[in-house]
Amino acid sequence: MSKALRHLALAWLGLVLLLVLTLGLSYLPLGSANIVVALTIAMAKGVIVVLIFMKLAHSPPLTWIFAGAGLFWLALLFGLSFTDYATRAGFPPQP
Amino acid sequence: MPQQAEAATLGIWVFLATEVLFFSGMLLAYAVLRKAYPAGFAEASRETKIVIGTINTAVLLTSSATMAWAVHAAEAGHRRLLAWLLAATAALGLVFLALKGVEYSQEYDEHLVPGLNFSSASPHEHAIELFYFLYFGLTGIHALHLTIGIVVVAVVAVRAWRAAFAPAYYTPVEITGLYWHFVDLVWIFLYPLIYLNGRSGG
Repeated sequence: MSKALRHLALAWLGLVLLLVLTLGLSYLPLGSANIVVALTIAMAKGVIVVLIFMKLAHSPPLTWIFAGAGLFWLALLFGLSFTDYATRAGFPPQP
Repeated sequence: MPQQAEAATLGIWVFLATEVLFFSGMLLAYAVLRKAYPAGFAEASRETKIVIGTINTAVLLTSSATMAWAVHAAEAGHRRLLAWLLAATAALGLVFLALKGVEYSQEYDEHLVPGLNFSSASPHEHAIELFYFLYFGLTGIHALHLTIGIVVVAVVAVRAWRAAFAPAYYTPVEITGLYWHFVDLVWIFLYPLIYLNGRSGG
């Protein structure tokens, strides 16, 4: 098995192990930390997919900029929206 | 030629960056509504089909692995292996859609489809309806993307079988792969938001 194929196999194994881990952890009563743990594991899975399967790790800097742009607009959308929703008194409005 | 391949790759990355925002609107709605109605969203999540959802996540992760392996086979010039791996990827996509169909039909039977037959006796009825509205919106749009992916992968598989690609030219395999991984990526984030949310309580 070539080195590249071994990396793909390890990436798949890592993804499946993270899936089992996130499923198990979601049943532990961690309160509001549950969603943080679940989304952190999702991000770890995302990094594996983007770097190894989508080969960003071996892509030129320009591709990194374009991929980063998607995340940047996403951060703007959530960041600016939550400066409102996270700080507004009386949200949701009570009837 | 390397420059052409690079330009095509860059083009699909631009498209995928816009696709991020296509899904983000509903993800933002999810985040805001989950913050507004935490108990209702937790209760709604607990009613989702976790077994099907988890199996489907594993199916999609595996399909991404076969897709990445297919790109590797294209680089190495293994024509038959490439065609079979693409066929396997498309088949795993079909398995996902079939399981999703089973899930939808169960949810229909349980009166969880807003606009068609939604009814709930819970005090959080309205928040649960909002959750299922977003659930069908997000998973429906995702399923549409996957359907397009299956068709494209199948077409590329046929072309691969007819020896359309060689180690010097396999750009269609590469950019189809990037699209496929993106659809997988969306699901990686939908899985915890839909199925895992609220599992530890209630």
